[in-house]
Amino acid sequence: MSFITLDRVTKRYVKGDHELTPLKDVTVGIDEGAFFVLLGPSGSGKTTLLNLVAGIDRPDEGTVTVAGHDLGALSARALSSWRAEHVGYVFQQHHLVPVLTAYENVELPLHLFPLDRRERHERVALALDLVGLADRASHHPRELSGGQEQRVAIARAIVADPPILVADEPTGDLDHEAAAATLDLLARLNRERGKTICMVTHDRSAASVGTRVLELRKGALRETGDVEVSP
Amino acid sequence: MIPVLTLPLRHLRRRPARTVLTALGVAAAIFLFVSVESLGLGLQRALSSGDAARTLVVYRENRYCPQTSFLPERYAGRVAEIDGVESVLPVKVHLSDCRASLDVVAFQGAPVDTLLRTRPIELVAGDLDRFRREPDAALVGRAFANRRGLAPGDRFRFGEITVDVAGIFASDDPVDEGLLLTHLEFLQRAAGVDRLGTVTQLEVKLADAGDGRRVAEEIDRMFATAEAPTSTRPRLEFLEGATAELAELLRFARAFGRICVLVVVVLIANTVLLSVQERGREFGVHLTLGYRGAHLVAMVTVETLLLTLAGAAVGVAAAVVVVSTSHAALAVEGVSVGFALSAGEVARAVGIAVVAAVAAAAVPALRAARTDVHRLFRGA
Repeated sequence: MSFITLDRVTKRYVKGDHELTPLKDVTVGIDEGAFFVLLGPSGSGKTTLLNLVAGIDRPDEGTVTVAGHDLGALSARALSSWRAEHVGYVFQQHHLVPVLTAYENVELPLHLFPLDRRERHERVALALDLVGLADRASHHPRELSGGQEQRVAIARAIVADPPILVADEPTGDLDHEAAAATLDLLARLNRERGKTICMVTHDRSAASVGTRVLELRKGALRETGDVEVSP
Repeated sequence: MIPVLTLPLRHLRRRPARTVLTALGVAAAIFLFVSVESLGLGLQRALSSGDAARTLVVYRENRYCPQTSFLPERYAGRVAEIDGVESVLPVKVHLSDCRASLDVVAFQGAPVDTLLRTRPIELVAGDLDRFRREPDAALVGRAFANRRGLAPGDRFRFGEITVDVAGIFASDDPVDEGLLLTHLEFLQRAAGVDRLGTVTQLEVKLADAGDGRRVAEEIDRMFATAEAPTSTRPRLEFLEGATAELAELLRFARAFGRICVLVVVVLIANTVLLSVQERGREFGVHLTLGYRGAHLVAMVTVETLLLTLAGAAVGVAAAVVVVSTSHAALAVEGVSVGFALSAGEVARAVGIAVVAAVAAAAVPALRAARTDVHRLFRGA
C-alpha cells in the first residue's frame, strides 16, 4: 500500500446554483519520499485533491489513507491533531500572520506541541536556517520580499518536522528567481530530509522538480508525457 | 500552550484607532455604571445609618419642606416627659434648596450640649470649645467641607447667614457629613424674622427601638389640637420619604446604565467581528496548521476580554477619581446623599465588563471557529 492513497475518491461542492465535481472516482497512490506534482489548469480540482491529502477536507465518496490513517474515520479533533503532526502546508500566497515576526510565524505550529521555550527556539532556529533566513527572524512580513515570505512559510510548514509537505502553487506569486529558489528548497527538503511532497501547479516548468507528475483534467488523473521528472 | 495572549495583543495594537475608540466606549459606559452605582451605595448607606431604628423625627403636620415646618421649641420639654424617650433634640433647619440639588447648603441649629451628646460626630479638625463658646461658630461636616474647601478658621457665608468654621467633623451617619451645625438661637435669629422660639423638627431618641410606633402616636396625640399639630415618623421612614424621588431617579439611571452596557456589548461585538472578518485567511491558516476551533474561540474571546477590560479599567479609574475628588452629593429636603464607592462595587463593574466581553465575543468567536478552510483555499 502506498504512503498516501486516494481510493475511488469523488468530491462535489455547490457553487451558486451549480453542483461541481472537481474529483470523480479518482484513485492514486503516492509513495513515501516522493515529490508528487499535480498539474492542471485553474479550477481543475488540484487544490481540492491537495486539501483531501492534507486532511482539511473530506471526500464525498471513497477513502483517503495517509501513513496508515483513514482520514475519513478520524473525528474533527483527531484530524486537527493528525494534521499538526503529519502535514506542513505551503500556500500560493504565504499567508503569514502580519502582526508576528518571521520567528513567531514559524513558531506558530509548535504551540500545539508540549515543547518548552528552549526546544521551540531550537526548532525555529533550525527551520529558519534551513530556508536561509536565520538573519531575518525578527522581521515582520511587510519587511520581507515575496520570496523571503514564501521561504518563511516553508519554514513554518517544516518546523514541526511533519513527514508530508503539501504545497499549493508555491511559486504562483513569485518572480522567476524567487520561484526557482523556492522549488530548489522544496527539492532539497525532499532529497535531504526525506519529506514526501505533494505540490500542485499549473506551471509545467515547475513540475520538473517532481519525481512523479500527474495531470488533473475534468476530474480525472492521468500521467503526463511531456514533463521530464527528476531521477 | 497556544499563544492566547500574544496574538490578541498584537491584533489590538495593529488597529490602534479602532482599539482606542472601542475601549473609550467601554470606559464611558463603565464610568456611567459605576457612578450610578456609587449613588445607589450612598443612598443605601444613608438609609442604614446610625441610630435610625430608635430615632423619631417630629415635624409639623402637612409640611412639604423643612423650611415650612415651624414647631414651638417648648414641645421638646413635653415630648421628653413621655415614657420611653431618652432624649429630645430640637433642630432648626435652613436649606439653600428644598428640591433635589447637587450642591445644597444645609444648616442645622440645635442646643450645643444636647447636639454634641446625641449626634454621633467626631471632631477631625478645629476646636470644640470655640464652637461651644462662640454663638456664630459652626461645625462643618467633612463631606461639605471637602466639597467647599473649608477649614477651621474660615468664614462661610450663605445668604443672610455667616458662620465661623470652628471645626470639621466626621460622623457614623453619612447624611450628617453634609451639614453645617450651628447654635440654635443663632440660626433662629439669622434664618428669618420672628422665628425665635420655633424649630423645624424634634429628633427623639428612644430607649428602646421597639417603642417607636407607640411613642410616635403619643406625640401626635399630645399635639393634635395644639397650635402646631405634629407628624411623627421613625427616622428611617422619614429618610425613605425624603429620598423617594432620589430612589426613583436612581431606578431610571440604573435602567439607563443597563441599556448602556447592552450598547457596549453590541459595540464590542461589532469591533471584534470586523477584526475577525478581516482575518478570515489567518484563521484558516491556523486551522490548517492543526489549531482547533476551540483554540480560535479562546483567542477571539481573550482579544475581546483585553479590549473590554482595558476600557473598563479606564472607566473604573475615572469614576474612582471623580467620586473621590469631587465629594459630590445629591440632596433633597436637606437629606444629603453622597456618592460612595466600595471594592464590591468596583468588582461588580469589572465582573459586568467580563460578562459583556464574553457575550460580545460569542458571535465573532464562533465565526472564527467555523472558518471554512477548504472553501477559503479552494481555487486551483
